[in-house]
Amino acid sequence: MLQVIELKKSFGGKPVVKGVSFSVDKGEAFGLLGPNGAGKSTTISMICGLLKIDGGDVRVNGLSIKKDPMAVKRKIGIVPQDIALYPTMTAKENLVFWGKMYGLKGREAKAKADRVLADVGLSDRANDKIETFSGGMKRRINIGAALMHDPELLIMDEPTVGIDPQSRNHILETVKRLNEQGMTVIYTSHYMEEVEFLCERIAIIDHGEVIALGTKTELCNRLAGGTVIQLKVDPIKERFIQRLKTMEAVANVKIVEEDRIEVFVTRADAALSQIVALSLEHRVQLLSLNVKEPNLEALFLQLTGRSLRD
Amino acid sequence: MKCLTIAWKDFMIRFKDRRGFMLMILMPLILTFILGSALGGVMGEDATVFPKTNLGIVWKDDDPLARQFIRDVLQSRDLKPYIHIKMADSREALEEHIREGSIDAAIVFPNGWSRDLNNGKLKGLTILADPGKSLQSDILQTLSQTFMDRAETTAVSTKTVLSVAVDSGPEQMAGLSQEVADELKQAAQQQWHAVEEKSVGQKPVSGMQYYAAAMAAMFLLFNMMNGAKSFIHERETQTLARLFSTPTGKTSILIGKFLGTLYFAVAQFLIFMLATRFLFGVNWGDNALQTLSVGAAFAVAVSGLSMFIASVIHTEKTADVVGGIGVQILALLGGSMVPLTLFPDMLRQIAHIAPNTWALTSLVDIMGGTAWSALALPIGVLAGIGAAAVTIGTWRLQAR
Repeated sequence: MLQVIELKKSFGGKPVVKGVSFSVDKGEAFGLLGPNGAGKSTTISMICGLLKIDGGDVRVNGLSIKKDPMAVKRKIGIVPQDIALYPTMTAKENLVFWGKMYGLKGREAKAKADRVLADVGLSDRANDKIETFSGGMKRRINIGAALMHDPELLIMDEPTVGIDPQSRNHILETVKRLNEQGMTVIYTSHYMEEVEFLCERIAIIDHGEVIALGTKTELCNRLAGGTVIQLKVDPIKERFIQRLKTMEAVANVKIVEEDRIEVFVTRADAALSQIVALSLEHRVQLLSLNVKEPNLEALFLQLTGRSLRD
Repeated sequence: MKCLTIAWKDFMIRFKDRRGFMLMILMPLILTFILGSALGGVMGEDATVFPKTNLGIVWKDDDPLARQFIRDVLQSRDLKPYIHIKMADSREALEEHIREGSIDAAIVFPNGWSRDLNNGKLKGLTILADPGKSLQSDILQTLSQTFMDRAETTAVSTKTVLSVAVDSGPEQMAGLSQEVADELKQAAQQQWHAVEEKSVGQKPVSGMQYYAAAMAAMFLLFNMMNGAKSFIHERETQTLARLFSTPTGKTSILIGKFLGTLYFAVAQFLIFMLATRFLFGVNWGDNALQTLSVGAAFAVAVSGLSMFIASVIHTEKTADVVGGIGVQILALLGGSMVPLTLFPDMLRQIAHIAPNTWALTSLVDIMGGTAWSALALPIGVLAGIGAAAVTIGTWRLQAR
């Protein structure tokens, strides 16, 4: 469906996207993860034909954005990060307008707007001005505008920024449903749990480069010491810490607070019994023990040394 | 035609905006009413072509030439509504009337005025006027001098031709005399017809009319700023980026933005014209097509300039500041605040850099009655400004 080939972009001589490549299959939900300034939005803008490509190409169903931008744009629905709507127009007027921009005619656009309003759960607010909507409602119409022409590929650039949990859940459920109905989705976010909920495959971008790409399981398997065992102990003894670090299944040990330790392990099952035995041996009392499975946040931290929300 | 969809969207957004409606439609109406009412006396019929005048006349010997001057000039169809004649016995009596203020100006015909006509030199008329009514005095001076020149020329010509005719043979004299007299009579009448024709375009323009045109010219200028701001606002709120992500060409989007401003400017002009016509009885002239053509050309100019401004200004705040100051300067320079006729010559020439100057002078000309040929230049200039500005603006915006 989509092929991003060695995409490059510089601003003022400074490279922002440095040869990004990935592909997305038809009907797939693909996640693009990265912190602010990683190059996600620039990549998306080039895929949509908003920014001129310095190097590489984007192909949608074999059509090059460079050679046939209009044909490519017809296949894509873009949900921008900002609420790109006209606040003094009603929800329906906005949807009809954006539908017409994708070539829908008058009646067809109105009928489609009614269906989209139902899809995003705002039929009862069809004739209210956007400026009277809450942030979450605006986001839903923002998505609706991208769905007016039934795009084959829906690209969503951080569509849940700054909204209430209810609207966020509604949006995630809507996107999930659209994907299940066969729509290909590219979802960018720095909310890990959203990407994990929606996407089968994920690319992690940082400093304009794809630093990891694969399914969630594949990515987590790359994580050395991906499982974290959180311990609350009394007291923390230096010799106990040193012995922990020498254990085969342990990748790292971190003292978080004066009575809390995080033990990064490659195999939780093997490590658990050894940790319990070691605590008995050193007369260290285990007050609590919690096992955290590997996640993308940890992977991202390991790959970049930064948190996703930095 | 997606550009029309964009244009209609912009038009409706501006049309439904209450604050915008107040500024663009109600404000010029209110200002027209205030300025037109307050300054009507200065600008109006009383001061435009011929002020209403109580004219005293001393005419003692029923001189035929004086009678002709009174009948054909002072009480002609065009001047009769403005000149009320009061006869007096003597110059002293006229001077007394002027002092009392019962008459504004006076003419004293010399005794036997037409006697000197055969010599080709008439005695001058004595014109008296209140020192504060110099305009009436000047106009009467011009009217009488023109009449005297014509009469003297006719008399001298007749005499010359007749003397030539006498030399050519007495038998042809009578016929030739009649022929020349008829031709001169015709020539004299034609000259008056020419003056009458010249008076077309010189209908008085009242203060209310002037300020209606002035406010239309001034408030249409705000479309330059509003059009530019609309573009910058779309850029800032990302709707412009979203438009560019749709399968719509850049040119189509930019033309749509231009047309949106043009639609509103034309609608604003039409609404304002109709509102002033029906609310204040403003007569926009006898030729509505001329008025609409000038209005449309001016709308093209301001809409084109809005695109140019959008291409050089990057923030709404800057557009507000530059636009606000710019409109005020242009309004002042273009005669929307103070009539252009009161400007010094040099400033009047400089004023032609302002598009509203062309629009205002043309609209006022139409109110007074003017020919299409006289409007060709201002319409051409306004349309040219619009075309050049939209071309440069669109080109610059496309390059971004």
